[in-house]
Amino acid sequence: MKNLFNKENFLFHELDRNQRKQSLIVAIALIVLYIMAGFTFMNMLYCFADAVGSIVSGSADVMIKDLTRSIPFFLSLFMTLWTVLLLHAFYRNVNEERRQRSLKKNAIAILAFAGVNILYILGGTISGKYLSLVEGSPSPLFPLDALLYSLLFVAIGVFALIYAKKLQVKYPYAVPSRGPIVTRARFFYCLGVTFWMLVSLFCFGGFWMGLFIIDFKHGYAAYSIALLFVYFVNMLFFPFWELYYNELKEEKRKEVLFPLALIALGVSLVSTIFYFVALGLNLDGPANVGFGVLPVAFAANVNIATLLVVLTPVIVSIIAVVKGAKMRRR
Amino acid sequence: MKSKSLIMLFSTAVLTLTSCGQVKNYADHLEDYVYTMQYHNNFNILQLTDIHWNYNTSTKASRTYLDKVLKQANDHIVATQGAGAKIDLVELTGDQFMLANAYHVESFVSYFEEQAENYGFKYAIIWGNHDHHGLYNPNWLSQKFKSGKHAIYSDENDNLYGRSNFVIDLVDGNNAKWQIANLDSGASFSETAISPFRDYDYIRPEQTQWWLLQHNRVGDAVPAIAYYHIPQDENLKAWNAIHNDGATNKHKFFKLEEFADNGNEKYQSDFIDVAKDHNLKAAFMGHAHNVDWTVEYEGVVIGLGVKTGPELYFAHIDVNDQDPALQEGLASVGINENFDLIGASLVTLKDDAGTFDLEHLYLNERTSGDFVRWVKW
Repeated sequence: MKNLFNKENFLFHELDRNQRKQSLIVAIALIVLYIMAGFTFMNMLYCFADAVGSIVSGSADVMIKDLTRSIPFFLSLFMTLWTVLLLHAFYRNVNEERRQRSLKKNAIAILAFAGVNILYILGGTISGKYLSLVEGSPSPLFPLDALLYSLLFVAIGVFALIYAKKLQVKYPYAVPSRGPIVTRARFFYCLGVTFWMLVSLFCFGGFWMGLFIIDFKHGYAAYSIALLFVYFVNMLFFPFWELYYNELKEEKRKEVLFPLALIALGVSLVSTIFYFVALGLNLDGPANVGFGVLPVAFAANVNIATLLVVLTPVIVSIIAVVKGAKMRRR
Repeated sequence: MKSKSLIMLFSTAVLTLTSCGQVKNYADHLEDYVYTMQYHNNFNILQLTDIHWNYNTSTKASRTYLDKVLKQANDHIVATQGAGAKIDLVELTGDQFMLANAYHVESFVSYFEEQAENYGFKYAIIWGNHDHHGLYNPNWLSQKFKSGKHAIYSDENDNLYGRSNFVIDLVDGNNAKWQIANLDSGASFSETAISPFRDYDYIRPEQTQWWLLQHNRVGDAVPAIAYYHIPQDENLKAWNAIHNDGATNKHKFFKLEEFADNGNEKYQSDFIDVAKDHNLKAAFMGHAHNVDWTVEYEGVVIGLGVKTGPELYFAHIDVNDQDPALQEGLASVGINENFDLIGASLVTLKDDAGTFDLEHLYLNERTSGDFVRWVKW
């Protein structure tokens, strides 16, 4: 446990200068995309929650009208998430062939989402679905801003394809793979990690937006701080796993997982207990303070989604404790 | 030294963020919640409710719909009351937004400011449960509401539950002729910290007491009308009395879903129970979009306003649908073609003796010419 951040424990310690540079570029790109995805996810959830609200209230026609107007938000999120997947072609690369395949596959997916988005917005504007290219709502420049965002991803997709076909001969990616690639129960593993990532993204957006939109006054200070603390914990766990744990050398991972998981469990339990105590003090807190950043809050009477967010770090920590204990025994 | 400074900085930040300033006792500052407007017979109040601007809304399209509602209401008032008559007050009874952001709020306030200038009305704003649900700070939303030159809105740092609690005294000279009570019926709350569900909120006892003080201030003889968002227990009690116990109270319009009130005996509001003995003539609310059912119950006309605009959800009235509640509603309004239950509600205060007219406007945009019907209570 000593010297958790000792350079020698990390994979990059054994890399040459060029490899380190490449590794850093990928890490920075992942962080930038994580931030972009956090905000895109929150926007998408807002559109989605309203549409779900329409369908559960029996107005399928309103849901269709709403979703068809807001398709650019959904595609924007998909483009961003697929770019994260694209970066994983570098991050976890067992061999060159696999990386090549993954790069091409995900670049094409990004180009498809971006292309559909651009065509959809232009078509929608020409057909009158959008009253103009800057119709406004939810931003002053919508849907033009979504179109520009798509163009950015067209550039990313094209660059990835060019790299896969030509550039990598001149500039080969030479950083070894980080983190284990699961082969057993891969489907459930991917499902679990995806869910965890989505909760983490949601809490990232929720935390930063929450700093500005949560009402700390009116006697709700305890609940406001507890909610932000829960989001902060959720927001940190996933990037910590991705950018710290997976960057460690294999033998170090085995050594630190169990103690780190115990710390994570402690922190999660503190945040969870704090949340419930604060909720007990402000029983109307979720509606009056945190509504804007609570998940699925369109259903005003449902606490379950919020409970899931509160409990996610505990669940993740317990899984990590079990895994860490197993790794120790081996 | 460094860690000490950090602790001090952190403590200061927390205190700044959470400090409540001076929380005032509402009973000592009754005048802070009072607005006045000039009363005249045929004072027109247009209720718009559950507009629900959200991330999926085209605010441009929604503004076009609102333009039509305001024009239709104004034309109707002029046609029935003569030139010079106008919408005097617009009551926005909650859920102006749901899943919205600052852009929606800015656009909304600037739209109503513009229309208030055009038509010469004031507009009063009440919080609905979903107005809390947006990417903006509720205190900022309050500031935006307060900033409107034509807006009537109050949000005091007090010990009174909710935000938008205020009264509008309609006066002639120094005498109040009517009083309009605006109450924040809240959003929702958990019964315990581990409840999987939240209950809808209700008008709290201290809000009732606050209104009693406000009403006593102008005199018990002054008739009053109340606006808030979430229906209280009387709506359902009245419905059950008529449909289960055979009561013959006057009632009209549609009830095509539940009232979505608190529904828990433990949390029933005492507002109407108390206010009915203090000259409360009517109470209007929103919240349940598929309901505009209105009833006279224990001397008070209680009804939901017609949902305004096509956001989130609304009822499609199909004359061939044999649902008894729908057929009952159709029979009450005398319309024999399909339409959507969206539009507005108009209250006209006839005189200071407490009489008023109520009309529901159903306005649907159609490519073949808009559907417009006014139905009297």
